[in-house]
Amino acid sequence: MTNSVFGQLLMAAIPGLPALVFLLLALFGRYVKEGAQFVAIFGVATSLVFSVFALGFVTGFPASLFPTGGVPIDFAVNWIDLGPGGSFQMGIYIDGLAAVMLVVVCFVSLMVQLYSGAFMEGDSRFAWYYAILNLFTASMLGLVVAPNFIELYIFWELVGLCSYLLIGHWFEKPSAAKAAQKAFIVTRVGDAALFIGIIMFWSATGTTSYEGISEAAQAGFVGGSLFTAAVVLVFIGAIGKSAQFPLHVWLPDAMEGPTPVSALIHAATMVAAGVYLVARTYDIFVQSPAAMLVVAYIGGFTALMAATMALTKKDMKRVIAYSTVSQLGYMMMALGIGAYSAGIFHLYNHAFFKALLFLGAGSIIYAMNSYNIFDMGGLRRRMPLTFWTMVIAGVSLSGIFPLSGFWSKDAIVVSAFAEGYYVLFGMALLTVFLTAFYIFRAIFVAFMGEPRTEAAREAVESPGIMTGPMVLLAILAVVSGLVGTPLGDFFAEVVAPSEFATGALAIEPHEFNVTMAVISVAVALAGIGLAYALYVPKPERATALARRFSPIYTFLDNGWYFDTLYDRIFVRPAMFFGRLVRQFDRRALGGLVMGVGRGASGAGERLRPLQGGGAQNYALFILVSVLILGVIVGAQYAFLTIALIATVAIAAVAVGSRL
Amino acid sequence: MQQFLDTLNAALPLEGYLVVGAVMFAIGAWGALIRRNAVVVFMCIELMINAVNLSLVAFADYLPNAGGAGVGYAVLVIAVAAAEVAVGLAIALAVYRSRKTVNVDEINLMKG
Repeated sequence: MTNSVFGQLLMAAIPGLPALVFLLLALFGRYVKEGAQFVAIFGVATSLVFSVFALGFVTGFPASLFPTGGVPIDFAVNWIDLGPGGSFQMGIYIDGLAAVMLVVVCFVSLMVQLYSGAFMEGDSRFAWYYAILNLFTASMLGLVVAPNFIELYIFWELVGLCSYLLIGHWFEKPSAAKAAQKAFIVTRVGDAALFIGIIMFWSATGTTSYEGISEAAQAGFVGGSLFTAAVVLVFIGAIGKSAQFPLHVWLPDAMEGPTPVSALIHAATMVAAGVYLVARTYDIFVQSPAAMLVVAYIGGFTALMAATMALTKKDMKRVIAYSTVSQLGYMMMALGIGAYSAGIFHLYNHAFFKALLFLGAGSIIYAMNSYNIFDMGGLRRRMPLTFWTMVIAGVSLSGIFPLSGFWSKDAIVVSAFAEGYYVLFGMALLTVFLTAFYIFRAIFVAFMGEPRTEAAREAVESPGIMTGPMVLLAILAVVSGLVGTPLGDFFAEVVAPSEFATGALAIEPHEFNVTMAVISVAVALAGIGLAYALYVPKPERATALARRFSPIYTFLDNGWYFDTLYDRIFVRPAMFFGRLVRQFDRRALGGLVMGVGRGASGAGERLRPLQGGGAQNYALFILVSVLILGVIVGAQYAFLTIALIATVAIAAVAVGSRL
Repeated sequence: MQQFLDTLNAALPLEGYLVVGAVMFAIGAWGALIRRNAVVVFMCIELMINAVNLSLVAFADYLPNAGGAGVGYAVLVIAVAAAEVAVGLAIALAVYRSRKTVNVDEINLMKG
């Protein structure tokens, strides 16, 4: 397959088709208008089919279809040839990990695009929205198949750009424009670090391919603190994209974008990129135990921190957004402690139920045009399909047996315990509790009780094109975990760390631990129970509690004051500097230019009276000028004297008579 | 006495002509610049032209290598001056017909 042109074209078409759709829609979008969705859906559906095909090939399953399968797809062409300096390559590398990601990205993207058709109906930039959605998908797919850092970086930046465009899709709203800028600038911090890391790797090893760098490090060409620094810089890139502490601040603000975009960003395309980068370069990461520890603790801390932030949020989408940050923290933690398959398994399961949560939130917003859960209430009866799918997603997110979230979350928690990271284990378990609490708090407040506003009373279920994808995702939120159960862990076979990584980390398969599973489910159930007790029978209790612990409540509600902190440390000095530069530009540079102009015009104004229109004046000027010229040219002495006398006499007389 | 007569009969030095020419020119220029009557201004210009002519002729006489070119030139200037006066007086007349005045101070249509 990797040798046949057809096979290579087929694989290149996976990111290529959405990119083509982007081109078509960007060029002809204004003519097709609402028809854009059909072009887009056709493109991404075809990509999905190809991705499934790729997954089948790399897993060699079913064997009758893929007799030569079971090996990664790997081919590349020279892109920039540097002669003796080596070359930069463009290629495609699809192993189990990449294939699973391809399928997830294509599937979620397809669901989101189906859903968007109704959600975005009547939007003034409908076709443009679909164009960017497809570019987003294409960039993520390209990022997934990239076999080297340079190719990855190109798509990495494209993903960032698309997220900027989509978050700012309703840029007429100042908050959306601001959120888009924030997302772009904050992730840019990570991108810059990633780029520096790439350059460090490249200068040390002379290659940018993951495999090459890993081999060079194993052979000892690069090591020590330089290597660790480079790895950590790459990880900072992943932090930025995956919204981990301390660069998590952009993700909640990214809720200003259209809700289906949030689903796409949170489930598949944007934030998954960071986790995927760490997983993709796992062979490099495992060679630096320090970097691995950083990954694990940043992940664990982020998981806990974001979960606490989600507790007090009133905005449905923000609750889910913080939940994403928290869940991504889980994945990072899993990768950091060596639970590679479990981390990716969680990424895969998370994609479905998180996309579902967002689409459900979008469905509510579509019905009643509000994000605030305290404006909702009683939606269970008005929107039963949304309610039940949301509950399934919530249960899955909480990690209740036997939904998909349970399998991966439990695997991570067990690994943390078994590997001896008891601090992380405690954090993870606490996060399980908080997760169950905040998501069911949102669900209970929104769907149970009595409607709190007129809009909630009159809400109606969304159309089938929106609920259809939700139901599909709900089914997956239930069953997607079944490929990785202890009875038959197909997932871990498909997405396995390399032999080298296994050896370096001394990874041992962790037996499914019934006690641990019971504990984590019990903790999650306790969270759900607490949410029920606080918000359903007597909602006053929650308010009373919030008042009682108002400093903590405010602290959490303000997201640990991270925004304020960054505002003070970075934004304000930057703004101050910006104002300074603007003042310099306006005063010094603008003043100079304006001064020259004003000087010329002023001089003209002064000289204007000289042009009085009187012929005699002109004659006088001519005469005086000629005389002066004569003096300057300096003829003979006598002539000079005569001229001087004549000048003085004539000028005196003439000027005197004029005045 | 004899000396005085000699002086009178002696050939006039070039400077004499030039000084007379310069004075004439200055008077002409002075008049051209300050007189308000357009006709008088024309007369003053004639004076300036003739001052120049005087200088030209004097140079032609005193500079042997000039080959009398200055004389021919003076004739040319006289011809041009005649033409100029004809045109200038026609303009003055036209201005007078339209504005009922030949005061150059009131004729400032060339104002920028």
